[in-house]
Amino acid sequence: MSGMIILTRTYKKGYVMTHILYIEDEREIGSLVSQQLVDRGYEVTWLQSGEGAESYVDLVDLVILDVMLPGLDGFSIGKRLKRASDSLPILMLSARTAMEDKIEGLSFADDYITKPFHFDELVARIEVLLRRFQKQEQLLLIQHLHINTKDISITNTITNEEIQLTGKQFLLFQCFIRHLNQILSKNQLYEQVWSETYIEGDKTLMVHIRYLREKIEVDPSNPTIIETIRGIGYRVKQ
Amino acid sequence: MRKLFGSLQAKYMLLIITALAIVQFAYLLSAMLMSGIQNQFETNDSAAVYYDEVEHSWHNDITRLTEINSKAMNQMFEKWSTTYPESSMFWVDEQGNLASSWQVSWDIPSYWTSSYTVSFMKERYGSDPFTIVALVGDQDASGFAVLEIPRSVFNPPIMKIYDQYGQWLIIGVVLIIMLFIVISYLFFRSIRKRLLHLQMAMNNRNSDGLPIPITISRTDEIGHLENAFNHMVTELNESKLREQEEERIRQELIANLSHDLRTPLTKIQSNAYSLTQLSLPVESEQAVHSLQRSVEQIDTLIENLMSYTLLMSHKYRLEMKDVMMIRFLREHLATWYATFERADFEIDVSLDGMPEFVWKADPIWLGRVMDNLFQNVLRHASSGSYIGLKVEFKHGYEVIIIVDHGGGMNSPSNESGAGIGLSIVDMMINGMNLSWDMQSNEQGLTVEICKPHR
Repeated sequence: MSGMIILTRTYKKGYVMTHILYIEDEREIGSLVSQQLVDRGYEVTWLQSGEGAESYVDLVDLVILDVMLPGLDGFSIGKRLKRASDSLPILMLSARTAMEDKIEGLSFADDYITKPFHFDELVARIEVLLRRFQKQEQLLLIQHLHINTKDISITNTITNEEIQLTGKQFLLFQCFIRHLNQILSKNQLYEQVWSETYIEGDKTLMVHIRYLREKIEVDPSNPTIIETIRGIGYRVKQ
Repeated sequence: MRKLFGSLQAKYMLLIITALAIVQFAYLLSAMLMSGIQNQFETNDSAAVYYDEVEHSWHNDITRLTEINSKAMNQMFEKWSTTYPESSMFWVDEQGNLASSWQVSWDIPSYWTSSYTVSFMKERYGSDPFTIVALVGDQDASGFAVLEIPRSVFNPPIMKIYDQYGQWLIIGVVLIIMLFIVISYLFFRSIRKRLLHLQMAMNNRNSDGLPIPITISRTDEIGHLENAFNHMVTELNESKLREQEEERIRQELIANLSHDLRTPLTKIQSNAYSLTQLSLPVESEQAVHSLQRSVEQIDTLIENLMSYTLLMSHKYRLEMKDVMMIRFLREHLATWYATFERADFEIDVSLDGMPEFVWKADPIWLGRVMDNLFQNVLRHASSGSYIGLKVEFKHGYEVIIIVDHGGGMNSPSNESGAGIGLSIVDMMINGMNLSWDMQSNEQGLTVEICKPHR
């Protein structure tokens, strides 16, 4: 396959690397970003055009796609890939910043980053997509909690016991883990957990957050895992 | 011929000519009719009479009587009665006695005195019936004979025709006028109906807001108008397509330009990031960070320049919809929160407890306005390390207030530019029918975005 470069790094036996398909025609950018992704522990297949991209659908965990490519453009390739596998996250990485391009890109892709980008932001967004699509079993350590992101099982490392959550608490915590380090407004949390419109002044969310804190925080009166962002909402930071 | 009568003007002229022809025909017909009737009258009334002729004839007949007695007088009366059936006659002899009378309807005295005779003559002078008094015989000693004929007998034939057939003439004229009015009404109603149909068809719009071609009904003037309208619709569609094509080319150019400018910036950014992963001397590390900041600044400038160009040419897409502002502000500030945190800003948000309010605005434009304002706080007011966001309801306005504790607009800033960011804010706020105000002093800058309370 022409223009295909696979970059990997040797890891200990049994470690399953996240495989990223990166489609970028600009050689210098492609080379630099591929290498930086490998340095971050991903296996990267870099293609300089969309030709043959569909054959990787079952082999990769995520696709990073440029828009302006020789031959078929990134939008057409992305739509084909999404048709082939709906569960494959696609992240558009393009120098096209017009609103129309973003809207077209986000009509099928799961995220859109414009160039020039900060590499840490790219990695953060890759991680969010992998968590959202549950593409990897990842163990998170947040203070004294061990969290399996695939099934949201929580273990208290102090007592070495698994923390059991009720239905709403589980949904709330899952929401926080899927949007790790992001501030979620009360409206967003309420609508995702209760599937209803949040009415200003409703205390239901606050009560459930309090119950959740009582289960996961060391000192629920002084919470450090679920932060209250005054006037905006809540955040779980790693 | 068909083409000629396909014209409304030709049809109208035909209508007028027909009407005139009908009037002329009616005149001709009535003239012929009257002439025929008159002839008939003249035939029946062969003694076309006139007052002088009758008077003269009566005098002649009376004075030339050779034999003067009642029998001869009655024979003469009978003869006159044949000519003038409506006439009445009588004879008063030399003694003043009524000697003979014929068809007299009034109460005639049997004896005539001189004074009564004078009074009778005076009364009948110039009145109806027309009365002729003639002395009998050539000796003027046999009394006088009187002839009375109703004056209507002397009317001209036309008056007689009018008296007899007048109502039919009027009915005929009214019928002709009515016929003309009805035909004219039908003609103009048909034109009006087609014009109204045309008007309705012209008001129909397709999904692009352009008029739809209409079916050409006939080849007359309205048909030509419909044809011209269809031609205009075709030209409008072509113009729209041309405009869309030009717009597509322009957007493509901007997108390509943006791409071509950002690609080298991405290379610089990626290389700078690679350098930060190495163990560099402090000075080199600072230089790399400065390089990264410059790349971000250029990126923002390019973005602002593109947006400014689009806004100036009214090509920046605007989709006004209901935006729940408290929710919007919370979610938008959430995306900036980490950035302000990293810059050690105190973030003061006063949105809890505020009632939700809805603005008609474009959320993308609003987001862009907030991004520019927050970016300005980060760049130009970092010395204050404070950002406040609150909502107030004052003087009938819903007001969003962004406060910083920088040095205000007049304080020196390392990253001051041409103010294109604020120009974009101004254009976007005005474009969404909102208003805004800035108050600057040494303690900082306060930006208020307002909308009248609904």
